[in-house]
Amino acid sequence: MRKLRSSVGACGANTPVAQFLPPAAQPMTDAPPAALPAYPPLRPRLLRRALLWGVLVVLLLVAQTLLVALTINYEAGREQDNTERAATEAAAEFRREMLRQMQLLQALAFAEAPGDAWRREADALLRLRQGLERVEWRALDLSVVAAVDTPYAPTLVAQMPRAALALEAELACSDASRTASPNFSRSYFVPLPGGQGLEVMELCVPVQRAGRQAGFMVGSFALTRVLESVLSAREARRHEFSIIEADGTRLARAGVSRGANVYVARQVLDLPGATLQMRADSIVGRPSLLPNITTALVMGLSFALFAVVLLLARDGRRRAEAERGLAEALAFRNAMEDSLPTGLRARDLAGAVTYANPAFCAMVGFTQDELRSAVADPAAPLTDAPPYWPPEFATEYQRRQQLRLGGHGRNLAESREGYETVFMRKNGERFPARVYEAPLVDGVGRHTGWMSAVLDLSAQRRVEEISRQQQDRLQASARLATVGEMASLLSHELNQPLAAIASYATGSLNLIDDPQPLEGSELMAMLRQALDRIAEQADRAGRVIKSVHAFVRRREQQHETVSAEQLFEGVLPLVRLQARKSGARIEIDLLPASAHSPARVRCDRTMVEQVLLNLSRNGLQAMEDATPLADRVLTLRARQTHPRWVTFTVADAGPGIPPDVAARLFTPFFSTRAEGMGLGLSLCRTVIEQHGGALDFGPGPGKRGTEMRFTLPAPKAAESGETSAPAD
Amino acid sequence: MALDPALGLPVVYLVDDEEVVRDALAWLLRSRRLLSEGFASADAFEAWLAEHTAPGRAPWPAAPACLLLDVRMPGTSGPVLFERLVERGLLDLLPVIFLTGHGDVPMAVAAVKQGAFDFVEKPFSNNALVDRVELALQRSAHALVERKTQETLRRALADLTDREREVMQLVVDGRPNKLIADELSISVRTVEVHRARVFDKMDVKSAVELANLLASVERR
Repeated sequence: MRKLRSSVGACGANTPVAQFLPPAAQPMTDAPPAALPAYPPLRPRLLRRALLWGVLVVLLLVAQTLLVALTINYEAGREQDNTERAATEAAAEFRREMLRQMQLLQALAFAEAPGDAWRREADALLRLRQGLERVEWRALDLSVVAAVDTPYAPTLVAQMPRAALALEAELACSDASRTASPNFSRSYFVPLPGGQGLEVMELCVPVQRAGRQAGFMVGSFALTRVLESVLSAREARRHEFSIIEADGTRLARAGVSRGANVYVARQVLDLPGATLQMRADSIVGRPSLLPNITTALVMGLSFALFAVVLLLARDGRRRAEAERGLAEALAFRNAMEDSLPTGLRARDLAGAVTYANPAFCAMVGFTQDELRSAVADPAAPLTDAPPYWPPEFATEYQRRQQLRLGGHGRNLAESREGYETVFMRKNGERFPARVYEAPLVDGVGRHTGWMSAVLDLSAQRRVEEISRQQQDRLQASARLATVGEMASLLSHELNQPLAAIASYATGSLNLIDDPQPLEGSELMAMLRQALDRIAEQADRAGRVIKSVHAFVRRREQQHETVSAEQLFEGVLPLVRLQARKSGARIEIDLLPASAHSPARVRCDRTMVEQVLLNLSRNGLQAMEDATPLADRVLTLRARQTHPRWVTFTVADAGPGIPPDVAARLFTPFFSTRAEGMGLGLSLCRTVIEQHGGALDFGPGPGKRGTEMRFTLPAPKAAESGETSAPAD
Repeated sequence: MALDPALGLPVVYLVDDEEVVRDALAWLLRSRRLLSEGFASADAFEAWLAEHTAPGRAPWPAAPACLLLDVRMPGTSGPVLFERLVERGLLDLLPVIFLTGHGDVPMAVAAVKQGAFDFVEKPFSNNALVDRVELALQRSAHALVERKTQETLRRALADLTDREREVMQLVVDGRPNKLIADELSISVRTVEVHRARVFDKMDVKSAVELANLLASVERR
C-alpha cells in the first residue's frame, strides 16, 4: 500500500496535474496534501529493506547451523546408543557363555574322576566350547590329578610349567572351597610360543562327593577366544570389544582391530569371584560434516524456497491490492475528469495531443481518437495543427505554441492566469476559450509536455453580449424618454397661456356679438381687461419659447464629436427591436472607400440619434407590407463625402414615395399613417438644419426603395482626435 | 336655449390648479352670462361641498350646476374627486366635464364611460366648451326638476290619511266605487268623498293620471 500511496501522492503533489484539480478533488489522495512531504525519503527505506534482508539471511544461517549441529548431535547419540547396546549385549553374551561353561564344568565334576570317562567328557567339552583351554582335576590339596588340554591350540603349559601358573587357580579354589561354589580367578597372562600370549582366567568348581569336598575341577579360559565366540558377526564388524579390568588393563580384545575411540561404552561384567568390564569401541568416527551440509543445504534451500514462495504470495497479494487501489484511484480520476465541465488536454513537447477528457471532446466536438490521430501524421507541415484550431489562426497558434512549449515553464505565472484564444468546433463554429497551462512532469521529474485546462467562454460571452445589449437598449430608451418628457413639458407649458388667450379672445368676441350688448363703458372695461390678460399670456408664452431657445442653445454647446459608428450603435438596439417585429435585416455600411479614419461628426448626439431612429422606423414601416420578407433590408450608411461633411443614408427596400406624398413630406402635421403625428420628418429636418446640415430623400439605386440622406458637419481638423469636446 | 329661471341662477364650478386657466374660463363664462366659482384644488372643492351638503341643510344644489374638473392637479387628482362624486350619486345634479391635457385622453374616455358628462381637451375651442357647459347645466336642471317633482309627490302621499290611501290603492287597481264601498264596508258616497280628496291632494284629474304618478314614484 505504501508504494501505491506514495506514487499517488507524488502525482497529486509534485506534478502540475494537481493544479487543475478542483479543490474538491484533492481528497483523492488519502492523506492531506500538507502531509505529503512527511513520507520517508528514499535512503532510510532502502536501509530498512536491506536490514530486513540481512536479518533473513542471518536467521537462515543460524537455522542451518543449528540444523547441522542437531543432526550431528543426533547421529552421535544414536551411535553412542548403538555402542552401549553392543557393549551390553556383548557383556551379557559373555557372561552367559561363562556361566554356561561353568555349568558344564560343574556337570563334568559329576563324572568318575579321574578315569577315562572323565577324560572323554572333558575332551568333548573342550572340543565343544570355544575358549575353554584346559580342564584339570585337582585333589583337595590342589595337586593336579588329571588334565585335558584343548585340541585346537597350543596348550597353555607349552611355554611355562603349570606350577608357575597355578597361583591364580589356587586362590580361586581356596575361595571356592570356602564358599562351596564355583569361583573365577583373576586373569593372568600366559605367554605362548612365538611371543604371543593369552590372558587366561581360571574357574574353580569344587567337587562334592557325598556331601564332602572331594576335589576341584579347574577350567582355564582364554578370554580372547571366549569373547570371539560370543560376538555376533554384525557387532564384531562394527565394534572393537575389549575386556578390561577395573583398573583399565585390557585383558582381551575382539571384533574389529581398532575402534575409533569416539563412541566408547563400558559395561560391568560380573562373574562369581571376579569383576571385569566389557568395553565396546565403535569403529564409527566423528560424524562427518559433509553429508550433513548437503542435507542442510537442501533443507535450507527448500526453506528459502518456501520463504520465497511465501514472500511472492504476499507480494502478489500486495500487488493485487495495489493494483486494485490503483484501479480505484484511476476510476476515481476518470470519473472526476469525466464529470469535470472543464476541458482537459495534455500535449507532448511537440504539441501533439496525448490526452483529452470528455469535456474537452464535447467542447470541440472531436473524439479523442480524432484529436490524437489528427496530429499523428507528420507528413504535411500544417497537419500537426490540432483539428480544433481555426485554419485562419493556425500559423499564429503554431508560432505561439512554439514560444510557449519552448518556454519550459518559464512563463508559469502566465499559465496560472491562462490566456484567451479562439478554438473551432467540429461544425466549424468558433468559440472563445480560456486556457490554463501547466508543465507535465513525469515520475522522474522530466518535463514531458503540457497539461491544459480549457474553459468554454462562449456561454459567458453570450450572457455578456445580452446584458450589454440590454444596457444599450436601456440607455437609448432613457435618452428618448428624456426627449419625450421635454416635449410633454413644453406642450403643457405652452398649453396654459394659449388656452387662456383663446378664452379671452372668444369671450371678447362673445361680448361684442352679444345680442343684448352691455353698456359702452362697461363693455370697454371688460374688453380692456380681456386684452390685458391676452397680452400677459402672450408674453408668458413668449417666455416659454425663449427658454426653449436657450435650452437648444445650451444643447448646441454640448455638441460632441462622435463617430458614425457610435451613433449607429446608439440606436441599433431599438432599431433591431423594431426590425425583429417586421422580420427585416439591418445592415451597417461604415467603411469609406478611401483609407480615411472612421467618419466622425460633431453633433448633439441625442438629437441626431432621434433623427436616425425616426428615419429607420419610417423605413422599416415602409417595408412592412409591400416588400417580400427576403428583401427587407434596412441599410444604415455613413460616408465622408466632403472634408467638412459626412453624409448619412438610411435606405429601405420599400415601395418608394409617391410624388404627391413627396411634395408634402416635410410639411408639419402631414402623415400617411393613421396614428402618425406628422411631426417626425419635419422635426428631423429641423434638427439636421440646426446642425447646419440638410435632409433630403430620393429613390434608392435602381429606383428601388427610398433613401433618406442627411449631412452633418465633420469636426475641424484640430478636434478630430478627440472623442468628445468638453461641455463648457 | 334657455333654462327655467324659476330654478335659480345656474353655477359653474371650476376646479383647476392653474389660476390663469380658472380666471380665463371664468371670464369666458361670464361673457356668456354664466356664473362661476373657482377652486384651486379638488380638496378645496370637497371641503366646500361637505359644508353645503351637511345634514340639516336644504338639499344641494338649489340651482342647476356643473363641474369643470382638471385631470392633473397636485394633491387629490380629478379622477379621484370624480370617483367620490359618483359614490355620492351627485352625477345627475352635478354633471362633470373633464379638462384634459396632454395624453390624458384614454383616462377621460374611461371617465365618460363611468358617467362623466364629457371631456374637453386643452387647449379647448372655447365657445364649444361653453356650449357643452350649457348642455350640462340643462341636464342638471332636468335632474333638479325631477327631484322637486318627486319631493312634491312624496309630500302629497304623506298627507293622505290611512283610509284615503286604502281607497287610492283600490282605485288604482281599477275597481269601481261600488266595489270599493263593499270591500271597505262603507257607503258609496263616502268612497266618492275620499276619492275626490285623494285626487285633490295628489293634484290629478283621473285615475289613470294617478296610476302613472304612483308608478313614477315607485320607480324611484
